[in-house]
Formats: sequence, C-alpha cells, structure tokens
Amino acid sequence: MPATDAVTAARPIVVETRHIVTQLGKQTIHQGVSLSVRQGEIAALIGGSGTGKSVLLKVLCGLLRPADGSARLFDTDIWVTDNETRQMVRQRFGMLFQDGALFSSLTVEQNVAAPLREHTRLPTAACLRLARLKLSMVGLEAAAARKMPDELSGGMRKRAALARALALDPELLFLDEPTSGLDPVSARSFDQLLRTLRDNLGLTVLLITHDLDSLLALADQVIVLAQGKVLGSGTLSDIQQLQDPWLKAYFSSHPANHTLPTSTREDTHGQ
Amino acid sequence: MTPAQLHLDLDNKLATASGSWRLIQLDKIETAAPNATEANLSSPVVLDGGQIDNLDPSGAYCLISRLTAQGIAPEAVQTTGFSSQHQAIFDLVREHYAASLRQNETSLWQRGRVLLRRLQRVERFMLESVRLIGVLGTETAQLLRHPGRFRYREFTNQIEAVFVSAIPLIALMMFLLGIVFAYLLGHQAMQYGANIFVVDGTTLAVCRELSPVLVAILVAGRSGSAITAQIGTMKFDEELDALRVMGLSPYQVLIIPRILALVCTLPLLVFVGDVTGILGSMLVASRQLGIQPAEFITRMMSELDLPTVIIGLSKAPIFALFIGLIASEGGLHVEHSARSIGASTTVTVVRSIVAVIGINALIAITLVRLDI
Repeated sequence: MPATDAVTAARPIVVETRHIVTQLGKQTIHQGVSLSVRQGEIAALIGGSGTGKSVLLKVLCGLLRPADGSARLFDTDIWVTDNETRQMVRQRFGMLFQDGALFSSLTVEQNVAAPLREHTRLPTAACLRLARLKLSMVGLEAAAARKMPDELSGGMRKRAALARALALDPELLFLDEPTSGLDPVSARSFDQLLRTLRDNLGLTVLLITHDLDSLLALADQVIVLAQGKVLGSGTLSDIQQLQDPWLKAYFSSHPANHTLPTSTREDTHGQ
Repeated sequence: MTPAQLHLDLDNKLATASGSWRLIQLDKIETAAPNATEANLSSPVVLDGGQIDNLDPSGAYCLISRLTAQGIAPEAVQTTGFSSQHQAIFDLVREHYAASLRQNETSLWQRGRVLLRRLQRVERFMLESVRLIGVLGTETAQLLRHPGRFRYREFTNQIEAVFVSAIPLIALMMFLLGIVFAYLLGHQAMQYGANIFVVDGTTLAVCRELSPVLVAILVAGRSGSAITAQIGTMKFDEELDALRVMGLSPYQVLIIPRILALVCTLPLLVFVGDVTGILGSMLVASRQLGIQPAEFITRMMSELDLPTVIIGLSKAPIFALFIGLIASEGGLHVEHSARSIGASTTVTVVRSIVAVIGINALIAITLVRLDI
C-alpha cells in the first residue's frame, strides 16, 4: 500500500528534473519537463507513443545529454558533475531495458554477476553466489541460472534482467516497459514481484508503462507526458480528473475503468 | 562509515552485528563449510541487529554466510533489535539464501558438455545439409514442371548483386595478383634468361588455379555471407513463415534463385579474373622482362590451350553450388536471437572457404590422375 501523504512528503527526493529540454537532431522531444520522485515511491511515466518517455529515461540514466535543464539523482546533477561522481551515482541505480538487454554471450548467472565483477572487489565465486541470490529473489529457479539468455522465455528474461539491475543493490530502479510483451499472468506476477521488492528493499522505482493494470497495481505517482511537457502528475485519481482526450481514451480502454481504482488495486493485490 | 562487525558469544547463544553492511564495503564472502561438530548447529541463536547502521541485500548475505560458517543455520537465527527496513531485507535474503549455494558443476563435466554440443552441431549440420539438398531437389523438379513459378525478378536482382557489383573488385584483385605473381616469377626466371617462360607460368597458373580459387573465396566472403545474413534475418523476423503461410515456398522464392545466380555468374567472374590477371602479368612482362604485349600474346596463344581455361572455368559452378548450399543452410538455421545471425554468417564464410579449397584439391588430384 502506498505510504500516506504525510510520510511521503517527509522523504527525500531521489529523482528530480527541472525544465529538461532534449533534442534529437532537429526534433525537439522535451520542452521543459519537470518531475520529482520521492524515496520509496513507485512513479509511473505514461503518455502516448512518441512523447519521449524512453528518451527521458535515457537522460536520467546518463545516456543522452539534455540540451537544457537539470536532471538530479540523489541530489547530484548527473550532467554537470565530474565523471567520477557520475560513476558513483551510476552504481546507485539499476536499469531494466525493454527487451532485457542481457549479454547474449554470457549465461544468466554470469550476466547478473557481471556488474559485481566490474564494480566490487569480490572474488568470482562470491559474485556468482550473490548473482544466484538475486536470481532466486526475482523468482527464477536454479536451473535457469545456468542457461543462456536466448533459452529463456520472455517473462524469465525480464526477471533475469531485473536481477541484473538489482545486482549492485541499487536504491533506485528505472524500468522501461517492464510488462510489455508478457502475458497477463506473467505481467501481474511481475508487478507483484516489483511491489515485494520495493517493500522489502525500500527501492524507489521510476517506470514507463502502457499497461493500465500495472499502473493500477503499482503506481503511487503517475506522471503524464504529452507534447514534450508534463501534462500532470499525482495519484491515479488526480490523473483521471484531467481533461485530456488521450488520457480519456487511455483510461476508457480498460474494462475496470468504471470501478474505483482502489478496489481494482486490492483485486490485483489479492492474486 | 563504521566497518561491519560481528561479535559472537556462542556460550550465551548471542550474536551482535554492528556497523555498515554494504556491498561496496565487502571484499570477501565467507564460503567455509560449517563445522559439523559444533553442537550449536540447530539451536537458536539470537542475532542483535540494533547497532547496524546500513544493510543492503549483499551485506545481509555476507552476514548470514558468516553465521553459517560458524555452524549457525540461517533458520536457527532469531533476530532482535533490527529496524523494520533492515528486518525486511534480512528476511528476504534469508529466504533465498539456500538457492545461492548450489555447487558449481565440475569443469570436466562442463568441458564434456561443450564438446558434446559441438559434436551435436556437426551432426545437425550434416543432417540438415542432406535434408536441404533433398528439399532443393524436389523443389527444383517442381520448378522444372512449372517454369512459370520461377522468380525471374529475384534471379536477376541476385545476378546484379553477385556479379555486376563484384566485377570492379574482382578485376582489381586479380590484376594486382597478376602483377605480383609475374613480378616474383620474372625475378627468378631472369637469372636463367628464361624470361619468356614467365608467360607460360603466369597464364597457366592464373587460368587454371589462381583465378577460380581466389574468385570463389572472394565470392564466398562477399555473397555467401550476404545470403546467410539475408535469409537469416528473414527467418529471424518470421518472414519465411509468412511466405509459407501464403502458400509460397521459401526455397523457390529465395534460395533457388540465389544458388542459381551464383552458379551462373561465378564462371563469368572467373573469366573476368582470368583476363585481368593476364593483363596484370602482361604489364609486368613488358616493363620488367622486356616482353612486348604482342610477343606475350603470341606466346600465350601457343602455350595456353583451351582445356586449361575450360578446366578453370568449369570448377567455378561447382564452387558456386557449394557456396550457395552452405550459405542457405546457414541462413535457414538461424535461431531465435540476433547473435545467431552473426555467428551463422561467420560460420558460412569459414565453411565455404574450406569447401572451396578442399574441392579444388580434390579436382586437382583427380585431373592429374586422369592425365588431363
């Protein structure tokens, strides 16, 4: 369950962007995007296709330099600071790419152990043990750890990629469409997993999703991107009040839109 | 940050953890097997976590493995004093601790598996090649009965890709090779005053061996890999299945035109190679050895007989057939990952080059035995 507003407000802000402007070639993607995510929150970024959700995530995880504005993670502007500090910040967040982006030449457990081998002083055997711990935490059985990524099903690949994102025990997770391409059952159990991990590990999560079900099940804060700007952010019911044709169409696409979001949330939770 | 510390008081069954247990501070994880003689193996031990400053999952893992090394089973730990967040992390890690301990397979077994997989791959390649030849046979027979189904468009496109656009490259390569070969040969021949024999040597070598083999190798690298990559990408994107669902045969639509284009055009490319190779040696002959082009051609006419040229040219379709078969087989067996397209392409080039050289050796020996 989401923390009460009073508690949430007291928590530090982990992700904050101010007036982000990004350009890809001549095309302006963002025209001043400002948002903030507090510690322990699950924030969902929604918006029609082409509104720059993935691009924003790239800016936040240090892959794409914005033309203007600031992107702060853990109170550090990652595009202003020196390389060393940026590297330190990088180790404090994990990123789950849309198709997993597992290294295809390594086994699943080697994939998860890879960041540990690069960034810690632990011997290989210990890295592999920690990797298997993470794989077990995301619900992959032991037999899967030894397989190659292309031998796994879509849902298992996402879980393996999540384990890799969690390898360095990050405080912050970026997820790019975690449930896309999964069947509804796998998608709901992935939501459940994210929620459990958030509750147990105190993670902050910023995710992009098109999946209304995971939005209902997970999001404490919903951020809507449209026309290069944040159309609105807040709880799900705040967002549903907004008068926007795309949002109206989005929410009416779901059969549960007539029931109250809270009851839907409990339904999903009970599964 | 205070270092991670674990204080054990086994007499009172009390353990106290303090400090910061975080991944970045870890440099080892206890892997020692628990001492089985310790009596306290299963009796509960109270773990006080009240003085822990920081705890992340890897830190909790390290803590549990330190306790395990002292003979305290994770289940036998009773926690007290943990903050609620630390308690949640500790419980989650404890729940999954056992899953991390699975022993690594012995390296011998692993190596055996790798070897086995290689053998299986060879076996599959052989079986699939036989199957492909069979399928192509029946599909070609069908095409012969219904010639209207032949894809002329695809065929001519492939001729352009395999032949027309390769001409400059082949011409340049064989021209340079003719120069080098004639130069080195001439360098030796001059010492014996046997300048004129350079003409015999270069024309024979270029027409019979050098041009067919080198052009085939170049085409294997250039067009064989392209065929594998094209068909492999189509297989990966399920285009081949889409064709089948439409009632079209991917063999007739894609593979037969490609193989046929290779078989038809490789002799032509070899001929281009023959001509440019001889031109290259002619250039060296006139500059280095004082053999004028007219003299060169007269000598060549008397020494280079037609069978030699025909042998060289007729090796080309055989090479082309093998390159085409190997490349198509590689493309058809791309698995469901982008990586396997790259791997298949490499394998195709290696296999076709080996095949070209092997077949060439076989033909050479056969012809010598037959006195041709």
